[in-house]
Amino acid sequence: MSKQKKIGFVLFLVLAFGVLLVLNSHEVTGAAKQTVTVAKVKKAPAGLDDPAWQKAKAVNVPFEGKEKFAGKKASVTTKAVYTEQEIYFLFAWEDATKSVTKGAWKYDGQKWGHQPGNEDRISLLFEINRINNFATKGCAVTCHVPEGAPNAKDGKFGTTSAAEKGDLWHWKAARSDPAGFADDTWLTKIGENKGGRKSDAGKGGDKKNMTADKSMPMYALAPGKKLAKNDILLVSHAVEITDYSVFKSGDSITFRMPNTPEDSRADIKAVSRYADGSWTVMLYRKLDTGNDDDVAFNPRKKYNFAMALFDDSGDEDSYDSEVLTMQFSR
Amino acid sequence: MNNTTGNRSETWLERLALDGIVTRLKELTVPADALTWNRFFGALLLVLLVLVFLTGAFMAFYYSPAPGSAYDSVDYALFTLPFGDVIKGIHHYGWNLFLIVMGLHLVRGFIFGAYKPPRQFVWVSGIFIMLLVPAIVITGDLLPWDQKGYWSTQVRISIIGSVPFVGDFMVRLLQGGPLTGIVALTRFYVLHILFLPCLLIFLLVIHFHFIGHRGLSGPLSGNTTSRPIVSFFPVMFNRWLILFLSVTLLLGFISWYWPAPLGDPADPTDSTYVPKPEWWVLFLNQLVTIFKGPLSVIGSVIIPAGLAGLLIALPFIDSSPERHPARRKKVMLVAAMMAIALVVLSIMGYLEHFRASHS
Repeated sequence: MSKQKKIGFVLFLVLAFGVLLVLNSHEVTGAAKQTVTVAKVKKAPAGLDDPAWQKAKAVNVPFEGKEKFAGKKASVTTKAVYTEQEIYFLFAWEDATKSVTKGAWKYDGQKWGHQPGNEDRISLLFEINRINNFATKGCAVTCHVPEGAPNAKDGKFGTTSAAEKGDLWHWKAARSDPAGFADDTWLTKIGENKGGRKSDAGKGGDKKNMTADKSMPMYALAPGKKLAKNDILLVSHAVEITDYSVFKSGDSITFRMPNTPEDSRADIKAVSRYADGSWTVMLYRKLDTGNDDDVAFNPRKKYNFAMALFDDSGDEDSYDSEVLTMQFSR
Repeated sequence: MNNTTGNRSETWLERLALDGIVTRLKELTVPADALTWNRFFGALLLVLLVLVFLTGAFMAFYYSPAPGSAYDSVDYALFTLPFGDVIKGIHHYGWNLFLIVMGLHLVRGFIFGAYKPPRQFVWVSGIFIMLLVPAIVITGDLLPWDQKGYWSTQVRISIIGSVPFVGDFMVRLLQGGPLTGIVALTRFYVLHILFLPCLLIFLLVIHFHFIGHRGLSGPLSGNTTSRPIVSFFPVMFNRWLILFLSVTLLLGFISWYWPAPLGDPADPTDSTYVPKPEWWVLFLNQLVTIFKGPLSVIGSVIIPAGLAGLLIALPFIDSSPERHPARRKKVMLVAAMMAIALVVLSIMGYLEHFRASHS
């Protein structure tokens, strides 16, 4: 065989295989689901404006309003990057009002009362173990299940079997962000009386700041300590109030005081900013925390996840995304 | 004193009674042109077959053929086992490459008149192998129990069901019931790893039996009677070994950088999923799209069966001893027209199923 024929033959095989790869890749990406590609970076982003974020492709994720937000829409610009050890998400969304009140106490000169207002939040749900049909139906099989479903319990949510486990990341503007974390929780089978939402192992969450008769706050800022972001009082900075006469009309105190989380509950760290009518939130975590209550990310694998947005609202009133695919770039 | 070796001590081959086989292999000769580029496809097919059998056997260790666990077992093999994704990738790309090379092997055989007397049954047995291989690939598609495999199977089952007289029976035989569930998955699994590979090996034995007795087709010109020969072992065997290692490395490399796809877990309630046909059935899929309603049997059965029949009957239709393509203009013209139709239908299918979803 002449040299030209040999070259032609090799080129033909390469071409044929190239066509095959192209067809294969189209087949994979042809699905209707949005994909967030996690870009690989050498140096972890140090903050919200780090140049490392420029390597990540922004995905504009649409959200549909539920319950009191029914008929309304929202969108969150989502980016993700990873290093050898950690994964970072960056979320940005418009929100005309910064909501961090979460029922904070206010003194009117006579008595204490709760201020109106909730908090802004964003949550992500991944699968630790496969949740049946989560890949196609997302939150519709765990959080907003149809009536009659085995895990349909009013106001509660979870999976239908103990084998199905979800990893729920929950950033809360008032109850977790001031401590520098997102609340790390997980989902399991819904119980007869309890929902399937569990906290990861370790201390965390928040503590209600109130006296035994629930009529007034029990704690105030300890001497020498400072309030955290958004003027939130952390549990670690609180001291029991001994003299209520020091308060004057208009004074306010945090009602839901964030604990500084520990152990597995402290896996997801958060950095945030509210400016110009928008939230920008960065969440980051080890790819594999080694904890059973966390999803272990393998960069060779694809993951399904869904998100929910809460605009100064409780659990039922949310904006939900469709289920998304997350894949890691090489 | 040993009766067979005299005072000499027995070699390991003699102790294992393999010396006779090795001697026969050493004495086996093949034409020297069996090493040339236009014989490459047959050797490559054999190498690929060994590779997909080996990788398939490895995956079978970890596979659980039940709808509730099949996906998770594949996911585990892919992402938890060391190099699991590479092995799955070699299996996936190996079959795809096998289909490409099989097509090239067929085209080469046709152009060079390899089906001409006395090698008619070499060709016919090869066509039967070609018709069997897609069945192996298709039965394997369902096994990961992902969306693509599940819904592609639904499409194929509906096409099989549309075959007059035997369609319903075939569907019941394949699925074991009205739905694609655990019985269907078990049957597809047994077909994929046992029955169809055994049938393939049986057909290969027949193919090689005819090759052994009728010989490889000689060159189109020159002396075809006194062709130089080389020994099969070790000359040819070593060549195959090098080919095996090269293909393994190439497919392993591709699999490492472009892992074989594993879609979302199958959701039989998700009727919104539209499966996209594999590249090698785009033309058949397009035929089904063109012939709709009462005419669907034309696209799903009559034309494909006619094509298969034509390929099988080719050595007996074009039975003249003339092998040179330039002197077989009529046959080449008909084949060219059919090839063009196949390519056009495939492009139409590609545009419809792949490009449409991106617009």
